[in-house]
Amino acid sequence: MLGWFDANLVSILNGFAIGSLLFILAVGLSIVFGMMDVLNLAHGAFFLIGSYLAVTFVAGESWGGFLTALGVAALIGLLAGGALSGLTEPLARRPILDQALLTLGISLIVAEVLSIIYGNDVFSVPPPPGLAESIDVAGRAYPAYRLMLIAVGLVLALVVWLVVEKTSIGALVRASVADREMVSAMGVDNRKVKFAVLGVGSLLATVAGVLAAPVYGARPGLDETILLLALVVIVIGGRGSVRGALVGALVIGQVESLGRALVPDLASFILFGTLALVLIVRPRGLFAGKVAHS
Amino acid sequence: MTPPVPIRRRVITLFGAGSMALTLAACGGGSLGGEEGGAEGGGDGGGTVRVGLVIPQAGVYTPLGEDMQQGWDLWLDQNDGMMGDFDVETVIADEGEGPDTGVPAVQRLLTEDSVDALVGIVNSATALGVAEQVTEAEVPLIVANAGAEAITKDAASPYVWRSSFTNAQIAAAMGTHLAEEGIGPVYVMAPDYAAGQEVVAGFTEAYEAGGGTIAGQALTPFGTTQDFQPFLSGVQSSGAAATFVFYAGGEAVSYVQQYDEFGLKDSIPLYGSGFLTEGSVLDAQGESAVGVRTTLHYSTEIDNEANAEFVEAYQAAYDELPTTYAVQAYDAANVLGRALAEAGDVSGSAITEALDGLGEIDDSPRGPWSFTNQTPEQSIYLREVADEGGTLLNTVVEDLGVQPQP
Repeated sequence: MLGWFDANLVSILNGFAIGSLLFILAVGLSIVFGMMDVLNLAHGAFFLIGSYLAVTFVAGESWGGFLTALGVAALIGLLAGGALSGLTEPLARRPILDQALLTLGISLIVAEVLSIIYGNDVFSVPPPPGLAESIDVAGRAYPAYRLMLIAVGLVLALVVWLVVEKTSIGALVRASVADREMVSAMGVDNRKVKFAVLGVGSLLATVAGVLAAPVYGARPGLDETILLLALVVIVIGGRGSVRGALVGALVIGQVESLGRALVPDLASFILFGTLALVLIVRPRGLFAGKVAHS
Repeated sequence: MTPPVPIRRRVITLFGAGSMALTLAACGGGSLGGEEGGAEGGGDGGGTVRVGLVIPQAGVYTPLGEDMQQGWDLWLDQNDGMMGDFDVETVIADEGEGPDTGVPAVQRLLTEDSVDALVGIVNSATALGVAEQVTEAEVPLIVANAGAEAITKDAASPYVWRSSFTNAQIAAAMGTHLAEEGIGPVYVMAPDYAAGQEVVAGFTEAYEAGGGTIAGQALTPFGTTQDFQPFLSGVQSSGAAATFVFYAGGEAVSYVQQYDEFGLKDSIPLYGSGFLTEGSVLDAQGESAVGVRTTLHYSTEIDNEANAEFVEAYQAAYDELPTTYAVQAYDAANVLGRALAEAGDVSGSAITEALDGLGEIDDSPRGPWSFTNQTPEQSIYLREVADEGGTLLNTVVEDLGVQPQP
């Protein structure tokens, strides 16, 4: 048992790193979908904006460039989410599929614009100084940057959970999910709530793009791959739940890392096999949050 | 309930009109266009040859398409836009990523544009998908990238030629070389699709024939693998003395970088099919790629006069180093030009007959090569990535000799 653990320690650790990254990516999508009933298929494209911003600003290895990229990505994410909130407003009373189609269209446009600006080449982004080296873990090399991702993911999970569950802003968001009419009767414009939630959700996508750039790089098509993973995380964790997004992301992280290491021959099936299993056992996900009435 | 009805009606109208246009075009292309082209060509020996250049202009293969177009344009510039006595009119079509876009693009070139010859095609599935059409239309196709063996073997057609390589040809050269070196057990990895499987099979067969042993193999999910760590730990625990892989594009960048990050590069040397370090991926890989050894039929560093001139002209024209994709299109133009000069006629049978009689192509940047079974029999080079003053290059370590299609 100890021998097995020793041999697979790096894969388990890597599962946590990938899981953290997936959490940062998926939690924004989950909040927007679960709380505001908007399935934002442009989430992957927003992620890719972040990755390309990292390409632009992280020239050479520097913390300055990396933090600039994070700041700019946060600002652009906020604005993009706000714009998206305005665009989906006229469709608010239409079926969820209509909004999804709108966001799908936006994602195609964003991806095409990125391809016009940056071309179709593959870019890689160096990690910030001090994190570019590999650290010795149980006799095997492991990239330091991925260890930092685990820490960032856990801190962010705590912050998002505290904001949603323990602050008055979080209370307002949860209230407008539970009963929109009542909240607006009390003098709160719930379009503003939607604006803020979409803004923050999209901000998390672009920030995740910057954070993922030293691992995944930036290239056309990455947006779709990433969106698919985020959707799987949400289905497994249950939409609208911070805890669900965290557990879903960690499960998928381990499936993609430890699972693939143990049964490489089934690498293509194992992700969707897990998805199917969860859907059979818990069709609404492991931790289904409160879902908006429509 | 109202919206669906008009939409469905519109779709039907579109579909109807579309297929009618196609049918009309097919008639025009088959009878009128074809004869006209033939008459022009056969009459006074001059006239125009219309060539369809099928390259990806959207999707993941776009950088390859750009290189191929630059190679094609460069040859035409150097030859005053003439092939033999014919003015060349190039019609470019977007191949896209796969047969779903590539096959209709070729169909349009054959019917609406009534081209006399076709050049290009990156994707093997697309090349296999159009073989029947071009054979039926009797229009010669020179495949300038797609490396599936079947294109010129099991699915061979007298009208389908190739100026690039076969997947197994490149891998087998490395297999033979490593077996001669006696490097020890090798772990083999590739993406899990047709080309990856051909590379793995080609390498394994040649390596085992030379007396080597395979430490293990992994076929990774194609297009959805961003993180190779789970597979790399399999390489480490297999006791392999070296790794041989085939990856291209984004996967090549991730693989080479992660192979370095997870500390394998120093203990288990990395070998690959040349596409692992070819073109723009090499810049993205950076220092992680230095020391990686690959086999390919071209490198900018090949020491011959034709290559020196080609590299200089290419750099002057596009301000970047040429890639193997550019050379394949350049050579496709070269052989088509030679065939047209020989034939003096743009009919499909005349061109293919002339292609068949070309013999050795002695002025190619990749060194001399010739058609055998309509695909190149050519030298494969052992290359090593080196950092020369901040520029990463595939330096030539050794010419592994002429390799036919296995």
